[in-house]
Amino acid sequence: MRARTLVLVVVALASAFSGAAMAAAAPDAALVARGKAAFTHRCSMCHRDGGTGTFILARRLGAAKSLLEQRTDLDPTYVRTVVRWGLVNMPRISRVELPEPDMDALVAYLTAPKAPATP
Amino acid sequence: MKLILPPGLTKTQFDQAMAAFARAIGKEWVLATDEDRETYLDQYAPGREDSHAAAGAIAPGSVEEVQACLKIANEYRVPLWPMSRGKNFGYGGAAPRMSGTVMLDMGRMNRILEVNAKAGYCIVEPGVGFFDMWEYLRSRKIPLQMGIPGNGWGSIVGNALERGFSPAGDHSNNICGLEVLTPTGELIRTGMGAMEGGKAWALFKHGFGPSWDQMVVQGNFFVVTKMCLWMKPEDEAAISVEVKLDKPADIGWFTETVTPLRLRGVLDGYVRLTSFQATATVPTLRKEWYQGRDSIPDDVVTKIRERFNVGWWNGPIRLSGYSDVCEANLKRLLDGFAKHTKQEFKVTRLAGNAVSGPTTYPLQMVNWFGGRGGHIGYSPVMPADGKLVLEQFERTRRRFIEFGLDYSGTFYNDGRSATNVNLILYDKDDAEQKERVRKLFVALIKDAKEQGYGEYRTHLSYMDDVADSYDFNHNALRKLNERMKDALDPNGILAPGRNGIWPKAFRDQRGKL
Repeated sequence: MRARTLVLVVVALASAFSGAAMAAAAPDAALVARGKAAFTHRCSMCHRDGGTGTFILARRLGAAKSLLEQRTDLDPTYVRTVVRWGLVNMPRISRVELPEPDMDALVAYLTAPKAPATP
Repeated sequence: MKLILPPGLTKTQFDQAMAAFARAIGKEWVLATDEDRETYLDQYAPGREDSHAAAGAIAPGSVEEVQACLKIANEYRVPLWPMSRGKNFGYGGAAPRMSGTVMLDMGRMNRILEVNAKAGYCIVEPGVGFFDMWEYLRSRKIPLQMGIPGNGWGSIVGNALERGFSPAGDHSNNICGLEVLTPTGELIRTGMGAMEGGKAWALFKHGFGPSWDQMVVQGNFFVVTKMCLWMKPEDEAAISVEVKLDKPADIGWFTETVTPLRLRGVLDGYVRLTSFQATATVPTLRKEWYQGRDSIPDDVVTKIRERFNVGWWNGPIRLSGYSDVCEANLKRLLDGFAKHTKQEFKVTRLAGNAVSGPTTYPLQMVNWFGGRGGHIGYSPVMPADGKLVLEQFERTRRRFIEFGLDYSGTFYNDGRSATNVNLILYDKDDAEQKERVRKLFVALIKDAKEQGYGEYRTHLSYMDDVADSYDFNHNALRKLNERMKDALDPNGILAPGRNGIWPKAFRDQRGKL
């Protein structure tokens, strides 16, 4: 029951903060680059094209929201909470696997303003 | 996750121990907040998550720091559970057997120390994952390959120490020398590594005198700090034979055909055959097929098979090595099949290095029920005999139907034994279903025991039950293991309860969840 409640809280957070990331100031480029490296090293096996996380997100939220690196609605608190507490079928990630400095960078990367998609 | 203290420790003693760990390895590597504890729970727990809840974690970064942690753990009587990367999904993930245990997280020790292409081995620390090694080999164009399990997210060392496997075979068979710490902190190298400056540590398994590597596998006598592991040179060629068998009973003649070929080396690794169910659980949801709470009925089985164009049993057989040898072995295999069926088997010729990399794709199966899912496996080892395999399958499927769960089975044949992995999927938020899972698991242990079959590996929650089933001469082997445990680990600080081996200090915890 506790975990179910958590899922609802996380989903609610995502809704409440959607758009906040887009309004944020441009983050530090070096931090974003470090975040991209952290994503590649720790997240990409599930969360890039063809990965388990991408597939399950598409099932739950639709294909448009399935690739985390393309999302424009991710909030820092939401990203941190999902990483440490897991969500639905996603396992939790410890501070050993993703230390806090890498977490900060990952959050900066995933919440950074995205360049408009090229037609 | 709220703190559950180690049995026998007060909060003050626990806090003093954690402070001592912080002085030894740095406070940033002592993880003991509620959120930290949450990250070491079993994500796919078949029962209550707090049945196996860590009190916290410590993460040393060197052999010396591990030694310091062991010293403190002995001083304060803090139980530690060594883990490599914590991806032992289906068997407990990153969680300990006994709640209140502190995780000894070895993830920071993640160096690839050596890869030797000529002799075909690597030396790695526990934190090295399959993805790390894959990237290392590819980026340096090193012509070696490794067996990769279904979940490629985990640790190479952790997987081998669990006796994990892949179609390439039992990964623990590739261990050739270990560096370990005893629970009291003595540093030891096994095999040829026992000689100072020994040059054949990763080349010859046994050294001089008793061979210890397999004592480390699935045990709780040591902490592993380095592992030498054999790897296979890239093949010149490979041939994939697509096997699709129409009837459940076909597994009988299939087993009789491949067993002698595997025994003679025509085939290698594990020859596997998987039931149709696996094709549906990853890409689709159960509710797309069936809404009932009972086991999927036969008319739905037919629909699944038609949509995915699969047999009742399926499994690619890979022949690899020198091209001319592969062709000769292919002929022997197809000649064997032709004695039982007129069916044509699709044959695909591949480059020798056309092997799949690590993936987490099969983990998607836990979403079968659509919500927070989980999985465990019941995996007894039995003779690789066609009649017995067929009987085992029929008996097991009847049990799945009896308890209203969807059958999903695989047989891995190594020419002598067959490991029968039965995958049990469930909805973590469906208490009634999880109770049926528990009853099924207990029934399967009993059924297999009656046939003389036992599990090769199990989830934390069933370790004592499975250990009970190894009962020759009143569980004499477990008694020997526990005598050795008490001798090597007098305070019982290392992984109490792992695979049913309980130290004297915590023996009263046996069977408690």
